[in-house]
Parts: sequence; C-alpha cells; structure tokens
Amino acid sequence: MRILIVEDDLEAAEAMERGLSDAGYACVRAADGALGLEAARAGVFDVMIVDRMMPRLDGVALVESLRREGNATPVLFLSALGEVGDRVAGLQAGADDYLVKPYAFAELIARVEALARRRETGSVHTLLRVGDLEMDLIGRVVRRQGKDIDLQPREFQLLEFLMRHAGQSVTRTMLLEKVWEYHFDPQTNVIDVHVSRLRSKIDKGFDKPMLQTVRGAGYRLDA
Amino acid sequence: MRLPRIFRTTPFRLTLLFLALFAAAASAFLAYIYIATAGEATRRTDSEIQREMRSLTGAYDRAGLNAVNQSLIERAASERPFLYLLMSPDGRRISGSIEESPVEHFEGEPAWTTFQVSDVVGGRTVRHPARGLQERLSGGEILFVGADVGEDQAYVVNVVRALWGAGALVIILGLAGGVLVSRNVSRSMVSLTGVVEAVRGGDLAARAPVRGTRDEFDELAAGVNEMLDRLERSMAGHRHAGDAIAHDLRSPLTRLRARLEAAYLEVEAGRGDPTQALAQALEDTDGVLKTFSAVLSIARLQAAGTAPDPVVFDLAELAGDVAELYEPLCEDKEIEFGSELARGHAVRANREFIAQALANILDNAVKYTPAGGAIMLRVRRRSSGEVEASVTDTGPGVPDADRTRVVERFVRLENSRNQPGAGLGLSLVAAVAEAHAGRLELDEGPGKLGELGPGLRVALVLPRAV
Repeated sequence: MRILIVEDDLEAAEAMERGLSDAGYACVRAADGALGLEAARAGVFDVMIVDRMMPRLDGVALVESLRREGNATPVLFLSALGEVGDRVAGLQAGADDYLVKPYAFAELIARVEALARRRETGSVHTLLRVGDLEMDLIGRVVRRQGKDIDLQPREFQLLEFLMRHAGQSVTRTMLLEKVWEYHFDPQTNVIDVHVSRLRSKIDKGFDKPMLQTVRGAGYRLDA
Repeated sequence: MRLPRIFRTTPFRLTLLFLALFAAAASAFLAYIYIATAGEATRRTDSEIQREMRSLTGAYDRAGLNAVNQSLIERAASERPFLYLLMSPDGRRISGSIEESPVEHFEGEPAWTTFQVSDVVGGRTVRHPARGLQERLSGGEILFVGADVGEDQAYVVNVVRALWGAGALVIILGLAGGVLVSRNVSRSMVSLTGVVEAVRGGDLAARAPVRGTRDEFDELAAGVNEMLDRLERSMAGHRHAGDAIAHDLRSPLTRLRARLEAAYLEVEAGRGDPTQALAQALEDTDGVLKTFSAVLSIARLQAAGTAPDPVVFDLAELAGDVAELYEPLCEDKEIEFGSELARGHAVRANREFIAQALANILDNAVKYTPAGGAIMLRVRRRSSGEVEASVTDTGPGVPDADRTRVVERFVRLENSRNQPGAGLGLSLVAAVAEAHAGRLELDEGPGKLGELGPGLRVALVLPRAV
C-alpha cells in the first residue's frame, strides 16, 4: 500500500510517516500543496492524506484539481477546522473522509485503512460474508452458521459497516460518523453499549467470538 | 477659513449646484432671445430704410433733384418715422430733417451706419439708437435715409431686464430654499452623526433616536441601531469567549502538568511505571482537547449569535434518532425509557447542533438517574406555537436556587463530582438554544417518590419554522 502524505508541518508529517511505516505502508511526503499535486500526478497511491491549510496550494484546491483531472485516489483530509461547515466544504471539494486535528494515531490508521480497502470492495454486493456470518442486504437477514440472528435496524447498519470493514480496526468516532451520521462527541461512550449489544447477538452461543475490542483504537470484526 | 455649517451641508451644496446650472441655462436662453429679437428688429428697420431709399432714388431718376427735394420736404413734414438728408456732391446739406450725416467716411458706395439720435422729451434729452443708409445718387448728390430703432431696441432691453430680474429672484428663492432644506436635513443628520462620533469614541451603547416618521432618516437610524446592537453583542461575545477559553483551559492544563510532573519525579526516583504515567497523561490530554473543542463550540456559537447552515426538519424525528442512541444505555442501567414524540412540528435549525444538544440532555439524564428510575423524552408543540423537546428524569434534580447556575460553564453541583464530564453539557445546550432564538428551561421533575426524585425536567424550546 502506498500513501502520499501532503503536509507542510514537517514534524507532523514525519510522525505520520513513522507510524504508517510501522503499520506496513510505504509513504511519500510532499511539503506543500503544489508539490503534493505534482507527486499525486506522478505516482500511483492507494490513499492520500492531505492537510487542509498549506502554503502555495491549499488542500481544497489540491483535491479539486485532482478530481477535475479524473484522479479518484481516496483522500483523507486533515484539518484544524472542525466546524460543520468546514467539514462539509472539505467533502464537497472531493475528499472522502475528514479528520480533525488533533487526532489519536489509531484513528488516522483506521481511517486510512478503511479508505485503502474501499477500492477493493467497491463493487456492489447483495450478500456480505465474513467467516460463518452472512448478511443478505436485500432480504435484510443475518445468519451465523445458518442460524437466523434478529437485529434492530441500527444494529443491522452497524454490523453491515463492520462486515464491510472486516479485519480492519474501526474507531468509535468512525462508527458514530458513518453509522449514526453524528459528528459530535457524546460524553458517555454510547457506542460501546451498542457494540456490546450487537456482540451478544452475533457471538453469544458460538464458540468463536468475531467482534473484537481493539485496545486504544475501537473494534474489529474478524472472520 | 471655514464656512458656516449650513453652507457645508450636502443639500445646500446640491442647491448651489442646481442654481449654477439654472443660471447657466438662463444666460444661454437670454443670449438667444437677445440675439434673435435684437437682430430681427435691426433687419426689419434696415429693409424699411432700403425701401424708402429705393422709392426716393426712383423719384430722382424719374423727375430729378427738385422732385426729390420736394418729396423730402413733404415726407419730413408727414408722420413718417424716417430721418432724411440730401447733400450736394461735395457733402453740403441741401435739405432734410437732420443737420449732418452720421456717416463719417463716405467713399461713394452705399454705406450702413448705426448712430445715436437725441430727442428732447419733457425737457430731458433722450438718446435713441438709429440706423441709416447713405447712397450717391446718379447725378452725384448724396442721400441719407435713417430710422430710429429706439422703440424696438427698448422693447428688447426691457424683456432682457425682466428676464434678468426673474433670474435673480429665482436664485434668491433657490438659496433660501436650499438653506431651509439643508437645515431640515441637517437636524436629522446631526443625531446620526452624534451617534457615529460617540461610537468612534468607544461608546458602543450610543443609539440614534427614531422619530417614528418612517422616512428614510428613521429607517437609517433604525438600521444603525440594529447594526450597533449586533456589534455590541458580538464584541461582548468575543471578549467573553476569549476570557472564558483562557480561564477554562488553565485548570485542566494545570492538572495535566501537575500529573506529568509527579509522574516524572516518580520515574526519576525509579519508583513509578512510566507506561502507566504516560497512558494517564495521554488520557488527560484527550480530556483537555475535549474540553477545548466544547468550549470553542460554545464560544463560537455565542460569538456568532446564530447557528450556521440551518435547515427545516421535524424535531420529533431527530429526537427519536438521538433517543435511539441512548436507549440501550438506559436498559443497561435499568432505567425505564419512554418517549412521546408528536410529529409534524418543524424547526429551522442546524441539525448537528440540535442533535448534540439533545444528546447532552439525555446524557445528563442517564448519568444522574439511578437504577430503577425513569426517563421520559417528549416533543410537543406549546400553545405559544413554539416546539419543545424535553427530557424528564427521576434523578436527584437541581434545587431551584442552582438552576441558573448549572447552565454556566464548568459548574458542577456537589453530588455530581464523582460523575465524568467537564460540566459543559448544559452550557452548550444553552448556547445552541440561544443561537436558534430559543431557550433552555430547567424545572422540577415528577417529584419525590421513595428513593427517587424529585427529578429534573430539561426543555429545549425552539421557535417553530414557518
């Protein structure tokens, strides 16, 4: 997996590169928007991490240029601006995800992973399968080892997201954003309660637990 | 040198400008009339003189000098308005009604001249302008025919004088009108200028008087006042926000620093476990960051005065969504959760902020309601027309005296010290309510019931979308 980091803050870029390399990604760095655009045109990347505010060419302009040229590389926007309007503007420019600074590193890795894998599973499936767990998206039925599992609508959505990102860590914030579509931080960790409910439905009574808690990051659904 | 105030006003200057334009136009008009009428009078006199001359030279050519002489004497005695002079070829007077020719250098060619004739009217000598033509007759004698143009000329002069008089009158009246209008406008402007000067001097509380005449000055005054209201609120908001952020972050940062220092000393002494200290510091940092973004959200809402990106949506539907997030939490804590959501009441608001406000209210309710208690979420329309989302719990409630205080930032009542949270939840709800022209209300819940109660009822009241 190749990642392009476009970030003008050298220290932040180096820390990012170190962390992503440890996680097994090959990184290329660009120190401003214009260099970033050149690098993106020159190479093939699985994910681009783009800082929102940069000298010469800002993140929004960079992503807009790339999209106009037909470059569809998934882009994760990093920004110190976290207001609703800022996020919407970033996504409208063509970014695929938006992460507000400062962030936990686990959050960055999880989001990069989700973007990188999205390409592979981009095709439309009506049936999702992870290990012995099956989800029929048309009939809205979930089965494990052939046994029907009864889920509430939101639990179904939650499980669908986890299955689409099977084997990857997903953070609580990601779940809140992608499943519930809320972008605020609830004071109590309500997501944990929903996940533990879902876990009791899909794991209880089976010998192999699938829904794992990843310390310091979030959750992961394993086959 | 500075002109008196009245002459410096815009209306007065405009009046002057218009007067100048008018004077220029009037002068051009007068000049045209003068040239047209005066020229016309001269032309008419000239052609009459010419006709008289033709008739006399005709008589000379037919009947000779004596006939002309005779004719001149007859004509001079008649009422004809002409002046005649017949002279011998060397210029001596033969006969006529004037003594000598006004033509000074006569070369023999027909010559036109303009001259003055004197007349004695009632003992006073009056001079009239006159025109004359002098020709040499075929026999060598010289004949002069003139005519008094005084009457025509006098008419033109009178007309011109009348026009000048009228022009002067217009200018005087115009100046007077200009002064009056400027005074009137100035009086309206002075109060506004006063306000602007007061604000420039730092007094943001100055307001322009609105006289209720609903004219453009009133509109301007009202507009200025509204602008100042907003400005004042916004400035106060910013000042407050800056102070608050500095204050709000100082205490958690101080705590974090103290913890790091303690951990450092422990590790240095070889006693503590650095991993644990670092993990703790990381957690603290996250806490500070959370506090920071909450404080920033509140400050921004308060400073802006309105929430960004408002959309119209059904409050019950959003409340139901948020409730769904908290319902399992209630079940886990063995709290009975119920809801009564009256649908179809739309509000115009920022969805994200309202969702967060409702989440904060529910979060508090779940936090403070003990097991065995109940939480009720309601969305309904008030008789006032407003839409209300309320959460009633059976927790310990908030004493009447503390209800305004708990909305303030970082205020946490004694019995909530052991609960997580920074004490910003309700402050954010209040800021969200205010940014939507709504309000946050705190009341007593359902009352005391054994171990439970008296409970708290928190209501977010919003104006209905029209």
